Amino acid sequence: MTFATLTSGTIGRAIGPRWTLVVGATMLGLLIVIAIAPGVFSPYDPLAFDYQAIMQPPSAAHWFGTDNFGRDILSRTIWATRIDIQIAVFSTAFPLVFGTIVGTLTGYYGGWLDAIFGRLVDLVITFPFLVIVIAIVAVLGPGLFNMYIAVSAIGWVFYAQLVRAEIRVQKQSDYAAAARVLGYGEMRLIFRHLLPNAITPAIVYWMTDMALAILLGSSLGYLGLGAQPPTAEWGVIIAEGKNFMSTAWWISVFPGIAIVLAGVSFSMVGDGLADLFRRRR
Amino acid sequence: MNSAPQVPEPILSVRGLRVAFGTPRHELVAVDSVDFDVRPGEVLGLAGESGSGKSLTLRALLRLVRPPARVSGEVLWRGRDVLRMAEREVRGVRGGEIAMIFQEPMSALNPVLTVGTQIRENLEEHTDLDGAARQARAIELLDLVGIPAAKARIEDYPHQFSGGMRQRAMIAIALASEPQLLLADEPTTALDVTIQDQILKLILRLRRDLNMSVVLVTHDLGVIAQTCDRLTVMYAGRVAESGPVSEIFERPRHAYTLGLLNSVPRGGALRQPLSSIAGQPPSLANRAPGCAFAPRCPFVVADCSVAPPPLVDIAPMHGTACIQHRKVAQR
Repeated sequence: MTFATLTSGTIGRAIGPRWTLVVGATMLGLLIVIAIAPGVFSPYDPLAFDYQAIMQPPSAAHWFGTDNFGRDILSRTIWATRIDIQIAVFSTAFPLVFGTIVGTLTGYYGGWLDAIFGRLVDLVITFPFLVIVIAIVAVLGPGLFNMYIAVSAIGWVFYAQLVRAEIRVQKQSDYAAAARVLGYGEMRLIFRHLLPNAITPAIVYWMTDMALAILLGSSLGYLGLGAQPPTAEWGVIIAEGKNFMSTAWWISVFPGIAIVLAGVSFSMVGDGLADLFRRRR
Repeated sequence: MNSAPQVPEPILSVRGLRVAFGTPRHELVAVDSVDFDVRPGEVLGLAGESGSGKSLTLRALLRLVRPPARVSGEVLWRGRDVLRMAEREVRGVRGGEIAMIFQEPMSALNPVLTVGTQIRENLEEHTDLDGAARQARAIELLDLVGIPAAKARIEDYPHQFSGGMRQRAMIAIALASEPQLLLADEPTTALDVTIQDQILKLILRLRRDLNMSVVLVTHDLGVIAQTCDRLTVMYAGRVAESGPVSEIFERPRHAYTLGLLNSVPRGGALRQPLSSIAGQPPSLANRAPGCAFAPRCPFVVADCSVAPPPLVDIAPMHGTACIQHRKVAQR
């Protein structure tokens, strides 16, 4: 059954045209539940070696198989969810908040503040994102915390750009003039009237950014700059399995699928939200 | 003993209002030497074609015209000069004592806040009512401006309202603080004719009930005839003529006012081509030294091109800036 027939059917009518949002949010909800209580779902200790069961293919006892130390891949993938969701949230929270505030103020006031910001943006986007992040992590030393610092130091710029552009548009609107005419103060005008109308693109981008953060976290984990072994993190697990790809494909493939699912669910929520906001206009 | 009817003191008195753009060397003067008064309970019409400076004048009154535009002159609001007030004081006047409604009810309401929230917000800013009282007052206001089932509609978003209802909602928000003066910038232009009429009647009724004054900016002389007590006609940023509506409509004393009135189609008359004023309004960058209307004026004499004629009183509360006003009156 294709999506077209699904969405035109009973279920499709029930969830309406917002199926991307519903499906994405459901998947995301599931991931969050797993991230909160991985112990409930994982059948084994993710760090426990089992020399009786090394490199076993997927079976009833080990659904996703085991690695070269006999660790259960399903359990490791489940526990990794916690780390990776944490990466998604921690490496985007500061950029979202800080970038939104900077974008709002530079967009509203313009002037020298805006000029400085513009040069800073130019500086940041000259370098490929991954290259600066790796450079910063290399200087600070590998590990998740330093990765958050590196991503936060750069990532806010993109939020600020989005919000700044939107605030500049909203600032000219009639309702902004109306709010000024009603004698409202500048802070009330900016944060209560303009910002809620300007933040939509940033929220949508945030969803995509969380997906990208997971990919980045996994990439850095793979390169040995992010989460450190034996911590179960999707990128780390994939890296551990890379030498056995021809004999034990399951070690790398299942965490890979988990990354894809997480990425897709964030993107779907982002798409669905964008759609929802457009409709409300 | 003086037997003349007592003229109440104006609550708003504008003197020599000037709005200029550009550099001091290449100054573009959009509004120049504008004088007018608004008395308590009066509806003043501000008429003129697009670009005559009427909307800009209205915005300058509340100091909404921002740099690089330069505003000078005097805007005396109950004795205090708005142009020289501290920012805090201006904010109390804006929305509190003087409210303003706009041309586009579609875009002048904040799309992400409910109508009720927007009314309550103004009450919160400008009155001492508590939460429950604000809610009750908000419903009362929506009811007052004629929104049916106000209680059920108050938590609706602006997009759930029709154009006419949005304009009513905007008026409700503006009136929340019980202003003494309502500035209406072409409030009916974006609405269809039947709704226009309802909104104008609403504004007139509210003026009476709340005892406020209204400045109504419009380019529609029909609207002025129907609603205004006095009229100020603007041309190229200056006041051309100012006086009681009935007097001006009966006997205009400025060549431009005459041209405007002649170009209004009249019901019952024979079908004939609409007469219009020949030529175009002058551009801002390129003003003649004398009367700005001189190049289009059928009554023009040599003196017209020397200096802009001053606004002179020709009757009580009736002024004109036309050298040829006697000739015009004889038409």
